[in-house]
Amino acid sequence: MERLTVTFLLTASLFAAADVNVYEQNCVPCHRRLPVTLERFFFDYLLQYSSEREVKKALRRYLKHPKKKNSLATEELVERYGLMPRTTLNDDDLRRAIDIYWERYKVFGKIE
Amino acid sequence: MSVSSATATSIYRSERITLLRFLGLYAFMVLLIMILGSTIYFKLQKDLMLQTKRLELEEYSKELIDGLKLLHIYFDRYRTYPRNPLYRSAIYDADYVQIFSTLKHPEGVQLKKVIYTTDNVIQYIHVLDSYYLGTKYTVVEIDDDRQWFRDTWRDILLYGGVSLLLFMGAGLLLMRLFLAPMRHAIHLLDRFIKDTTHELNTPVSAILSNIEMIDRSRLDPKTARKIRRIEIGARTVSTIYQDLTYLALHHQIASQDTDVDLSRLLAERVDYFKILGESKKISFQTDIQPGIKLHIDEGKMARLIDNLLSNAVKYNRVGGEIFVRLRPGELLIGDSGIGMEADQIREAFGRYKRFDESAGGFGIGLNIVAMIAKEYEMKIDIRSQKGHGSEVYVRWSV
Repeated sequence: MERLTVTFLLTASLFAAADVNVYEQNCVPCHRRLPVTLERFFFDYLLQYSSEREVKKALRRYLKHPKKKNSLATEELVERYGLMPRTTLNDDDLRRAIDIYWERYKVFGKIE
Repeated sequence: MSVSSATATSIYRSERITLLRFLGLYAFMVLLIMILGSTIYFKLQKDLMLQTKRLELEEYSKELIDGLKLLHIYFDRYRTYPRNPLYRSAIYDADYVQIFSTLKHPEGVQLKKVIYTTDNVIQYIHVLDSYYLGTKYTVVEIDDDRQWFRDTWRDILLYGGVSLLLFMGAGLLLMRLFLAPMRHAIHLLDRFIKDTTHELNTPVSAILSNIEMIDRSRLDPKTARKIRRIEIGARTVSTIYQDLTYLALHHQIASQDTDVDLSRLLAERVDYFKILGESKKISFQTDIQPGIKLHIDEGKMARLIDNLLSNAVKYNRVGGEIFVRLRPGELLIGDSGIGMEADQIREAFGRYKRFDESAGGFGIGLNIVAMIAKEYEMKIDIRSQKGHGSEVYVRWSV
């Protein structure tokens, strides 16, 4: 029984690590080069789309089909760094990456 | 004169029923109108209060949004929610999920409304254009001191009560106006009967006393029969006279109750009516248990018996029968006459009610019976079948 639990915990942490990797590996490296943080982008999405469902929907749409009119980045930023390339992640990985992004910066439970 | 006023002011049963029905309907309508009016007034007062509070709440809401804006911009540095002791607030996202709340009653929040009261608080909803921290709806809440509620109810009760009194007064006035012709007609009939009664007394007494003085043994049979018929006629008139006197004066006369030998009284009255029954060849069968006594006014008991017997004769067929039985606590007078329908029985005790227009009379007999029975707490039960006759039971507690 104990062995089972240990195995389960190990698997779970491995999956979690894999999830973090999806976001860390695919989003963070590129954005690190930009002068606007991922957190600032998150708050711009919140300002525009409000709820978790709407924010995630908008992110998914933009990452799959990045267009200038859908971008929340300023014109200067786009001019200087260009639009971000279309995502190469499959649907599952993309969903996981967005979920991690939401969990990391969401305001729920953080307001005092 | 006192007799006239006594009967004129008395309200008869049918009139009282009409009166009650009208008043009931009128009161219902008035109440309905007042409830409707009160509801509208209450709603208006509530709206007025909310409009007054709305200005204050809009100010608080603006202040909250300014605070949210700052928090949104500097969220990486500080995360303290904008608070103010003057109000409590909450923020919700576009999917109605609560982001943060300091509300006393967050369960009562209705994001689709603008301003409302719930659980003794007033809540104001503002929809944002820019969703700071994802906030689409801000809710600002203040305590409702309920002063408006108490004031409104006081007004409703005060003005409602006064209006109700005025309406009911107007209703009574209207009712009297509508009933005036009916009262007038009854009053006229009463007056007529009283006048007639007064004029009847002397001639009837004269006829009856003179008939009694005639020595019938000296008359030839043909004249004796004629005199007999005159006597029957005079006795009928005398009975009617006594009924009318009772009706006209019974309000004034105090009952003189004594222990009456009911068996004797009944036998006497049956004998008296045998003569009246002769004209229709009606035979009497009596089964009177002797020695039955009752504490009652003898005159009134005689009127009760007379009227039941008189009806039994009046509504009987030629050659019919009348059955009289007396037992302790029960008197039965039955006839083989025309009988009554069920609905006629119900109306039988009303004044001026006659079931056979050809039978004559004023229709006051059973009304008198009912009045006397009510005075002495007797129960009257009529069993009747159309075409087969009627049985009237008078019952009293022994």
